[in-house]
Amino acid sequence: MSEELKRFICLGCGFLYDEALGLPEHGIAPGTRWADIPETWACPDCFTPKRLFVMVEIPYAADEPHLPRLGPIVSPPEPSLHVI
Amino acid sequence: MRAEARGYNKLQSTGPLASYISGHPEAVLIRHSSFNFGPYQAGRAGFGRLRVFGDEVFSGPGCGYNMHRHHNFIICAFVLQGELTHINTVGNVDRLTSGDYYAFSAGSGGKHCEVNLKNDDMHAIYMWFLPDQLLLPPSYRRSHFDALANRNQLVTLVGNADGALRVSQDVTVSRLSSDAVMALDYVPRSASHGVYVFVLEGEVHCDDVALARRDSRGIWGAERINLRTGPQETDLMIVETAP
Repeated sequence: MSEELKRFICLGCGFLYDEALGLPEHGIAPGTRWADIPETWACPDCFTPKRLFVMVEIPYAADEPHLPRLGPIVSPPEPSLHVI
Repeated sequence: MRAEARGYNKLQSTGPLASYISGHPEAVLIRHSSFNFGPYQAGRAGFGRLRVFGDEVFSGPGCGYNMHRHHNFIICAFVLQGELTHINTVGNVDRLTSGDYYAFSAGSGGKHCEVNLKNDDMHAIYMWFLPDQLLLPPSYRRSHFDALANRNQLVTLVGNADGALRVSQDVTVSRLSSDAVMALDYVPRSASHGVYVFVLEGEVHCDDVALARRDSRGIWGAERINLRTGPQETDLMIVETAP
């Protein structure tokens, strides 16, 4: 089994890299591991080099629309019909 | 940590940093960093949730940081001297003078500009905290520390206390301004919390360690920390943080 996807924060500005989300707008596909990003990569917001990011284990704020979908969307089961 | 052991940056508004540092001509921003920051990297990554502790002076009219983007970090500024103009994308244009302080939570994304529009130097302490949740809605709050009214009392500026600014993190920032010999025991919330003591002015004995102006000390695992101030004007800040 693959290791859990991780999150990294830029110490220069707080920019978040979430392995689950990747950065498609910067050519990094969702699911791309931090280790697979080149060492020459830098924060797209403040240009802080990759080595000055730190891994964080911080949950997303509740009700944020940015929550990553880690798996296929599963529909809730249909409520069973009760007839009295 | 002795004052001279901190990181030192002299940033100028002309040359390669012209787009980052505001002010003209030749405004100078002096930054002493207790922890790793920007080009200064001495291996002190931070202290618990506190990741930046900057002792900064903006010299020359217009000196400061141009509008730039942040996420997530809770940025606090405590103005010691002069006037700071703070502009952010939450919608605030604020002017802060001695004793004023703010907490700007960048959350899901926000920009800010920090600038000294006056001729006199502006001194401030900047702290950055990691938040307890990612991508929170951005927010800005400000308050004031009245050194005269709170003479010889430890006051909570940030944290869960009456009159303090609440932030989304298990941290507390307190300040003591004294003009008499004082002894007090600082009791952290738990033995797992760390306490970072920073002397703004005067001299403080922290347990058995003498700290002079701009010296600091970080302590983990203490049940209580004994602080003793001298008879002269003393001003100190205490940051308590979860690990």
